[in-house]
Amino acid sequence: MLTLWRKIRRSGRVAEPAPPRPVGESPAAAAQFGGSVQIRHVDAGSCNGCEVEIASAFGPVYDAERYGARLVASPRHADALLVTGAVTLNMLEPLRRTYEAVPDPKVVVAVGDCARNCGVFAGAYGVAGAVGDVVPVDLEIPGCPPRPEAIVAALRKLTGR
Amino acid sequence: MNPVSGALLGAVIVGALSAVAGLLLPRPARSAVVGVGIAASGVAAVVAGVAAMAGQGASLALPDLLPLSGVVIGVDALGGLFLAVTGGVAVATGIYGMGYCTGGRHGHRTDGRLVQATLPLFVLAMMLVPVAASVGTFLLCWELMALTSLLLVIAEHRRRPAVASAGRWYAVMTQLGLVAILIGLLVFVSNAADGTFAALRVAGHHLSPTVAGLVFVTTLIGFGSKAGMVPLHAWLPRAHPEAPSNVSALMSAAMVNLGVYGIVRVGFDLLGGGPNWWWLLVLSLGALSAVYGILQAAIGTDLKRLLGYSTSENMGLVLIGVGAAGLFASSGDGTLAGLAMAAAMLHIVNHAAFKTLLFQSAGSVVYATGRRDLDDLGGLRVGMPRTTAAFGLGALAASALPPGAAFVSEWLLLQALIHGLPAAGISAAIVMPLAVAAVALTAGLAVATFVKAYGVGFLARPRSPEARSAVESPPSMIAGMAVAGAACIALALLPILVLPAIGAVAGGVVDSGDPVAVTAMTIRLVDVAGSLSPLMLAIALVVGLAATLAGARVFATRRAARAARLWDCGAGPLSARMEYTATSFAEPLQRVFDDVVQAEQDVDVTHHQESSYLVKAVEYRRRVPDRIERRLYDPVLAAMAGWGRAGRRLAPGSVHRYLGYGFYSVCALLILLVVTR
Repeated sequence: MLTLWRKIRRSGRVAEPAPPRPVGESPAAAAQFGGSVQIRHVDAGSCNGCEVEIASAFGPVYDAERYGARLVASPRHADALLVTGAVTLNMLEPLRRTYEAVPDPKVVVAVGDCARNCGVFAGAYGVAGAVGDVVPVDLEIPGCPPRPEAIVAALRKLTGR
Repeated sequence: MNPVSGALLGAVIVGALSAVAGLLLPRPARSAVVGVGIAASGVAAVVAGVAAMAGQGASLALPDLLPLSGVVIGVDALGGLFLAVTGGVAVATGIYGMGYCTGGRHGHRTDGRLVQATLPLFVLAMMLVPVAASVGTFLLCWELMALTSLLLVIAEHRRRPAVASAGRWYAVMTQLGLVAILIGLLVFVSNAADGTFAALRVAGHHLSPTVAGLVFVTTLIGFGSKAGMVPLHAWLPRAHPEAPSNVSALMSAAMVNLGVYGIVRVGFDLLGGGPNWWWLLVLSLGALSAVYGILQAAIGTDLKRLLGYSTSENMGLVLIGVGAAGLFASSGDGTLAGLAMAAAMLHIVNHAAFKTLLFQSAGSVVYATGRRDLDDLGGLRVGMPRTTAAFGLGALAASALPPGAAFVSEWLLLQALIHGLPAAGISAAIVMPLAVAAVALTAGLAVATFVKAYGVGFLARPRSPEARSAVESPPSMIAGMAVAGAACIALALLPILVLPAIGAVAGGVVDSGDPVAVTAMTIRLVDVAGSLSPLMLAIALVVGLAATLAGARVFATRRAARAARLWDCGAGPLSARMEYTATSFAEPLQRVFDDVVQAEQDVDVTHHQESSYLVKAVEYRRRVPDRIERRLYDPVLAAMAGWGRAGRRLAPGSVHRYLGYGFYSVCALLILLVVTR
């Protein structure tokens, strides 16, 4: 316990200084969120590369929560879905149901190249399609995997902070 | 002939006739006639008990009925209370048994001649124990009660091996308890003029402290084991679940009370109170029983075993009240003593009502499904709405929450303990806060226990085909549950109907005035600040609930309703396998109390042959051994077995050696005679 406290004291604040607010248009629904967006993450068939970057985006260095974005445990609590990976056959129906379970107004963010256009998995036997083929996508984050800065910048478009 | 003796005689005659009917009648009519007989005998006992509590004593001596000691019957207010409680339980279980004994689809028939003839005798013996007024009569009735209950416990021994084992435990412990009572009372009688309670009462004031202490402790062991007091409770969670459910109800709601009756009768009435340490002993054993009993119930999964442990808990609460009453009485605080005793007695009445109801509804579940394991039940609400309502009512009454019956008695108990803090010496200053904490912990765990039993067992979805196809029990069983349920509701909302009488009995036991005063609505404590109105509390709850619902409806923002699928993690239809089971519900509690409970659990993971990353099957096993039993009973049993094995070496089967034994013992005897003469 004491070592933990000592570690906390010695490390201090490791978050990077906030970069300027990203430019570019944000989805229409984002205006209604009022600066606070609850996010449910869905892994539709990712290689887990994007997951590592998302975890990093919400970690202490990039600290996406300071801009009002927060990961939640249920789509019923969520304003936005963060979908990674090409949609596999097994995740096709669960993704659709998760989308239906999110209350309106809602936003879908496709994270990574696989989510956008199936990436290297395009045409594979177990892949149903890109996220956009299953649910309407409002925002895309390119990259394989996208860097945490890119994820944070995209989320800041939703929160507007 | 006054009403008491008339009604008592009626109860005895009807009971005896129903025993004969059980023996002679053919099967179709047997259980119905016996059930009606038990119920009628119960009504007569209630009349006799209530009349006795109102102050009409009765006594009867039949010196020729039994050789040597004769039979002496005497009904006083204390005996009347227990007589009335036993009678009330008999009414409900008698009606209930008419249907239950026929067995149902999955239950087991218990309408054989032996069981049906023993059942009224058991009820009769329980009615006679509190009215026996001499040691001989008392022990006779006590033993009759023990033997008949043993026969009833093993009624289903042919079908389930667990019954035989439970029967052995019960037989040994009940007979050892009898021996303890026998020793205590015989020591007592040897210091008195004769064996009647009147003579013992006179002798009780002149006993030396050592003898009085010996009498009290030995009888406490015997009576305590009957009341399911920890650590002498080992038989109770075995015998109560394995007995047929109407017998479980009788044992759990009526028989265990008589253990408390014995402690009160000997400790307060015959020995005239005693030093502090007696009652500190009773109080601490009571607190131990209460906490340990409810803890075992909270992590148990067998519905009837859980109820058995809950009986241990409730008797523990009663013993806390009795112990506190003795403590206050010995330090000269009559009113508080009366209050604690009244709380204990009211709790006995409440416990009798809700435990009858709970065991009856558990029996109804067994009747319909043949299962007792909560993990296999669930969803009974659909097929058995009345039984579900009955169990819910009983669970509410047992949970010590308003508007439940146990709330009133536990409130009285807590009032007595809290106000007792400044009243009696240093020991009380240490013990009372601990007792308050024990009662509070018990009440909290009881809520968790009954939420588990009701929610997992009756609500949600069925987890076995039997539970899915369960149908409601026959009307006679429902009627029996209705009687007990009406008693629960009456005791919860209108305890003012019984409290004056119970207060008078309690005041009589500890030689004080009435500890509680009742007005039209309110229970007011005498001499200490405190009042409670259960009816107003219930009305306030209902009004508050209605106001909240109405307010929510009026002030709720009106948004367009959205039809959406029930969230199931997107994976597909919810199934019964996803529900909380009793095991998983109790898991956090088990973790918290792991130092006390020490459950044994192991997880076996079987992997696929090709890869150890692929899991083929996961098997989880959990056993919750009774730790007190393991520490206390296992060494004794092992020592006995070792002694038996050592004895076996003396008897190798050689005739020469046996002849040698005879020869040498005669020689030793002769030498002994020569030396001592």
